[in-house]
Amino acid sequence: MMQENEIMSDATMDIEDKRSSARISGEFVTVVMIFGLTIAMILASRAISPAFGSWSQAETILYLGSFLVFCAFGQGLVILVRGLDLSIASVITLGGVLTASLMNGSNEGLFYLVPAILGACVLVGTISGIGVAYFRIPPFIMTMAVGLIVYSLCLGFTQGTPRGYPAPFLSGFMQAKFLSIPAPIYLLLVFVIIGTVLQSYSAFGRKLNAVGNNPLAAYIAGLPSGLLIVSAYAVSALCAGFTGMMLAGYANGATLRMGDSYLLPSIAAVVVGGSSILGGQGNFVGTVGGALLLTTLATILTALGFEQGWKTIMEGGVILIALIALRDESFAFLREQFRKRG
Amino acid sequence: MESHVLHTAALSKRYGATVALSDVSLGLAEGEVHAILGENGAGKSTLVKIMSGVVQPNSGEMTLAADTYRPQSILQARAQGVATAFQELSLIPNLTVGENLLLPRASKTAFWPESRSGILRRAAGLLSQWDISDITADAIVEDLSLAERQRIEIARALSHATRLLILDEPTAALPDPEWLFRQIKRLSSRGIAVMYISHRLGEVREICQRATVLRNGNSIDTVDLSGVDDDGIFSMMVGRSPDSAFVEPAEVPEDAQVILGVRNLNVGKVRSLDLALRAGEIVGVAALEGQGQQDLFQALGGVIKFESGEISVGGKAAELGSPRRAINAGAGIAFVPEERKTEGIFANLTAASNITLPKIDQAGQAGIVYSGLEKNFAADVVAKVALSPRYLDFKVGNLSGGNQQKVLLARALITGAKCLVLFDPARGVDVGTKQSIYAMMRDHVAAGGTVLFYSSELSELVHLSTRCLVIYDGQVVANVPRAQLTEERLLAAAHGHNQEMKIAV
Repeated sequence: MMQENEIMSDATMDIEDKRSSARISGEFVTVVMIFGLTIAMILASRAISPAFGSWSQAETILYLGSFLVFCAFGQGLVILVRGLDLSIASVITLGGVLTASLMNGSNEGLFYLVPAILGACVLVGTISGIGVAYFRIPPFIMTMAVGLIVYSLCLGFTQGTPRGYPAPFLSGFMQAKFLSIPAPIYLLLVFVIIGTVLQSYSAFGRKLNAVGNNPLAAYIAGLPSGLLIVSAYAVSALCAGFTGMMLAGYANGATLRMGDSYLLPSIAAVVVGGSSILGGQGNFVGTVGGALLLTTLATILTALGFEQGWKTIMEGGVILIALIALRDESFAFLREQFRKRG
Repeated sequence: MESHVLHTAALSKRYGATVALSDVSLGLAEGEVHAILGENGAGKSTLVKIMSGVVQPNSGEMTLAADTYRPQSILQARAQGVATAFQELSLIPNLTVGENLLLPRASKTAFWPESRSGILRRAAGLLSQWDISDITADAIVEDLSLAERQRIEIARALSHATRLLILDEPTAALPDPEWLFRQIKRLSSRGIAVMYISHRLGEVREICQRATVLRNGNSIDTVDLSGVDDDGIFSMMVGRSPDSAFVEPAEVPEDAQVILGVRNLNVGKVRSLDLALRAGEIVGVAALEGQGQQDLFQALGGVIKFESGEISVGGKAAELGSPRRAINAGAGIAFVPEERKTEGIFANLTAASNITLPKIDQAGQAGIVYSGLEKNFAADVVAKVALSPRYLDFKVGNLSGGNQQKVLLARALITGAKCLVLFDPARGVDVGTKQSIYAMMRDHVAAGGTVLFYSSELSELVHLSTRCLVIYDGQVVANVPRAQLTEERLLAAAHGHNQEMKIAV
């Protein structure tokens, strides 16, 4: 009989609420801090080399970081609904390989090839989502299995060496500049706006938030939980496929391992950006900050000439420090300080 | 003073800020069978937990055979001769009956495991000692029926009780209590005291000599059962309740439209239940714990699928099957679940988002939503539940329990459903919130809706319901009209009294 205890925990909350609205939310502080940290790192890197800390270095970071931002958006949605997408690397490869082999260096048929390639990726994500939502397979296992299958299909399809080139239009776009700023940076900006609206200011995003926050309550409130979970995985695969397409345009070709270096950073970006790895909390702007922070760090460490091992150790260290520093308790303290002044 | 086996003085137990037991004093005499009576949540289980060493009291004294008694664990209590048969069974399902009976010392020696046959022989001895002939010592516990498991649980406690045996709702799963009563008599003839917790007054009168009544964590009185009638006991359990703040519900015409019709419903514990909720009615449901009310409410909310039965909403047959379907069925059924935290709120979302969620597609413009739009969309229902609009931007997890409950009720209202199915909607909230919730329910039926609500507080049922159904053992055993509603009447029916009053509803 747990009756008494429950009544109690309810009753303990019935203390008259006298707080003013918590205007400074933890999420907002995370976003500010993470962008602040990124900018500080870029400026500080001037000490290493005069070529650093410049606008052109910031451009490079935005350019290289955009790939991570694209796939981290999908990862963020999946994490939001209490999942994890380990198939991202393989789906990036799938997107890249299909782009190179189907476009085959020609602009012909671009208008149907792009939707077809992205559609194939969405199909992969839908399968993962169905496994997770309806067959109750743990997300970790389901997406890993689907990822392995997709990777093996790519391997078989290309017989080990992906051939072909992306459409000249695509590689041209990746090289193009408008007003002396690389075109992909504009794309990044548009993507960030759409992603933020979708995740935080749309009916769809609200429902995903609700499902991740309390799946049982979402079901009782009448949300189609299964469908929502599937759609998160589908969007994630769409984003990964898009990343693969852009990467193929950037590198003017595809490789079988082109997605590998994005899987773990995509998870790290989401978590460093203030989302809860347990789901139900997070915003895309934070994830963008996390992705840019990781990209900045990698760029600086490479420029300093660290060996790969040291690089990875330092990346791991920075992620840990960011996570510890960005916990809710740290904000509770800050908020307290603000209130005293106000 | 008579010689007490166990005596408690001013026991109190707090969980956080709330008091489960505030002042319980009672004495159990040698060889006495002593009943503990009280409503749900009166503190009976906490008392059992303290006496059996599961939790420690915050203050107060217990003496066992003249020595201070302060068990820190079940084993310590048992070592001093106090054994408990718990309501939720504490047997290990994948072990044999024999091993369970002998635990925690399934083996006689510390180092060398005893042979299986040795364990079984000793256990078989115990079984025959307690008159259990139809269960063998080598049976695996999970293969047994609930009633058989309950007997093993009790037999284990019987073997360990050398001073005091505590039985927490022992007959809840026992169809035939005679075996238990025989064993209790054997124990008490040896001078062992028995503390007997049961909702069933008939049994209590048969087996117990005295009873202590608990109410709101206090021991009200200890009475000689031969000297007091059932009504007397019920009014001690209920206490005096203030009548002032309630308004008399309006009469509902017999021919009012039936909004929710249920025919021959079978789900979980519920057996062939019929129900008709008319426009303008607030129908209360009274029941002791676990009589099937959860099953009924969850089935109506679409949360669990039912085995058979016909449901009609607004005169049209409806398939429920999922909460989404229940909300969209005809005039609509909106369900507010029992567990606010786990089944209700989205702690990380704002109050406004929590409320608008079922209709979020309509809250926004072109699929885009932000807090301003949501607040406007929710304004109507927020006013109906008297939630202060300043809370709309707060994360629901930061609100008080009462405001969280208002948010959930507002969410139910925003679906536009005519039929509200509310499971204990005012539980654990402050008095002001209770009044707002009552007002919301009355306004809802005044506007042509209907409300079915379960409450663990009898006073709430008596004052709010236009009529009240009493559910016992999965069936409606009484349909008490407004004019006859008293707490005593409900309590008696809820304890399975006056079964002859069984009425088709």
